[in-house]
Amino acid sequence: MGREDMGRDDMGRAHDLLRYLVLAAVLVAVRMFGGNYLTNLANFVAIQAIPAIGLSLLMGYTGQISLGHAAFYGLGAYASVLLASHAGIDPWLALLVSAALVGFIGWAFGWLVFRLQGHYLAMATLGFGIIVHVCLVEFRDWTGGPDGLTGIAPLQLAGHALKSDKQMFPLLWAVCALMIFFSESLVRSPLGLVMRGVADNSKVVASLGTSPDRLKRMVLMISAVYAALAGGLYARYIGYLSPGPFDVGFSIKLLLMVAIGGFARIWGVLFGVAFVALASEALRPLGDYDTVVFGLLLVVAVVYCREGLLVAAWNAARGVVRFERRRAA
Amino acid sequence: MSEFVQLLIAGLMVGSIYGLIGIGFTTIYNVTGIVNFAQGDFAMIGALSAIMLHESGLSLGLAIALAIVLVGVIAAVIERVAVRPIGTHVTRGIVATIGIGVVLQGAAALIWGSDAQPMPGFSGERPFNLGGTTVLPQALWIFGTSAALMLLLYLFFRHTYPGKIMRACAINPFAAQLMGIRLGALRTFSFFLSGAVGAVGGIIIAPIALTQYDSGISLGIKGFVACIIGGFGNPVGAAVGGLLLGILEAMSSGFVSSGFKDAISFALLLVFLAVRPGGLLGDLEKVGRRHGT
Repeated sequence: MGREDMGRDDMGRAHDLLRYLVLAAVLVAVRMFGGNYLTNLANFVAIQAIPAIGLSLLMGYTGQISLGHAAFYGLGAYASVLLASHAGIDPWLALLVSAALVGFIGWAFGWLVFRLQGHYLAMATLGFGIIVHVCLVEFRDWTGGPDGLTGIAPLQLAGHALKSDKQMFPLLWAVCALMIFFSESLVRSPLGLVMRGVADNSKVVASLGTSPDRLKRMVLMISAVYAALAGGLYARYIGYLSPGPFDVGFSIKLLLMVAIGGFARIWGVLFGVAFVALASEALRPLGDYDTVVFGLLLVVAVVYCREGLLVAAWNAARGVVRFERRRAA
Repeated sequence: MSEFVQLLIAGLMVGSIYGLIGIGFTTIYNVTGIVNFAQGDFAMIGALSAIMLHESGLSLGLAIALAIVLVGVIAAVIERVAVRPIGTHVTRGIVATIGIGVVLQGAAALIWGSDAQPMPGFSGERPFNLGGTTVLPQALWIFGTSAALMLLLYLFFRHTYPGKIMRACAINPFAAQLMGIRLGALRTFSFFLSGAVGAVGGIIIAPIALTQYDSGISLGIKGFVACIIGGFGNPVGAAVGGLLLGILEAMSSGFVSSGFKDAISFALLLVFLAVRPGGLLGDLEKVGRRHGT
């Protein structure tokens, strides 16, 4: 999909550092001046940015569609809670173990589906998402069925329970920033180049001696780990789990975030997540109109703004400026 | 035994609808190479607008006819505005049509609310006895309409000039264009046809299943599964696949558990994709032929 200009890597790390600094400045401002409402919103941006960036690695950089990412998110959430409550594992460790477990599920699922491409792959991942959602509802003994799991204890850090929005804020954003950093490193590495190669033409990659399927499985695994980690954090943050937030609707929302961000742009996807979160809040007074608006956004982003909304807006602004200059001249 | 027959009839009813939706997928896919993930929502819009038109005082037949044309026109407009700019890019097509589906569902929720809406049976609601099992008269309407429509479509694709043009495009769009076929107009027409067929499916099942703004999602997915079972791009396969899926679903909800009904049909989908992605009637090479990397 959207290909980033390779030459821009030369412009160097100063540019990236600037991005991290801007992010840090925004976060510090939210933490210092924002109330509980804003902090809560920012926390959700962090939680959803992690699976969205994971999906961008798979869809944007590697060119493999997934309509079932909510399943990995949900499996991570439920597994981390159940591991802690049934197997008595420390919640922090359970978070990591469940992420590893879901990563393995992602790898195994990739082994099953990556002989497929295009709409076959889309439908297989969609089917996977629906099967997992049905299982979350139907395996009542484990998941509590539609009522879900309640009373999930918050994470403990050095004897303090991370309960409130403001207490979770630094943890969630630290994890999110770490994931951004890891994704950027991955994309820049030689492996990242192979990922783009698979997206463009997997036969060429195969002819150069790298197995495209193995790479796809690996990226799906990484992507599943991202989603599962975010799911585990979500469970501990909310303190309550039900199957509702892990349905196909969330998979599509992740798709929207990635599309707004321009698919193969990690910082763009972070913008996409924030944009969707803010837009949801802004549209709340309008009631049911938000679904139509989000659907239209998805269509417009995919059909007319292939590099993402931000780049499209930037290009449009530049075009207007140029036009004005030419008229003035 | 009677329970088995009852389930079989229920399965065949739902299966015919899946078959019709599957044929709708096939019609668009063969001409444009796009898989329209909003296909099920055409059925939902068709049913809900027929109900609305009927309630506003039109006779049932007229309301249904208008609704079918309306959905066809909506589908044609969608092709012009949102699908044609994409060309044949598979992933973009999938994501864009998912977005269209979301828009249609959102619009339906705004227009008709989120309550499930009933539709009167075409010829009464009183079930009659057929060899020991009770059958709704609507069942006969469903069987009759789907069989007639499938036959008509078969004749259309096989023996009429526009139908042959559409098949030519399915085989080789580039060569078809060289022969002077206007691909753009044909794409719009395929969306119109597909929307109309989808609307028929949604309308004839509306009297036995309540329709609401999100009814299209599962219908669409099942229609797609029907296509996979039968072999993608093959309309006859889609019809056969739909019937098989309908029967399997009815049996599994009757004998296993209705909660797992959907999971079972998707497990079947995954099995087919893993073992025989070309479907029952398709050949394996077709899977990568058109959209190979």
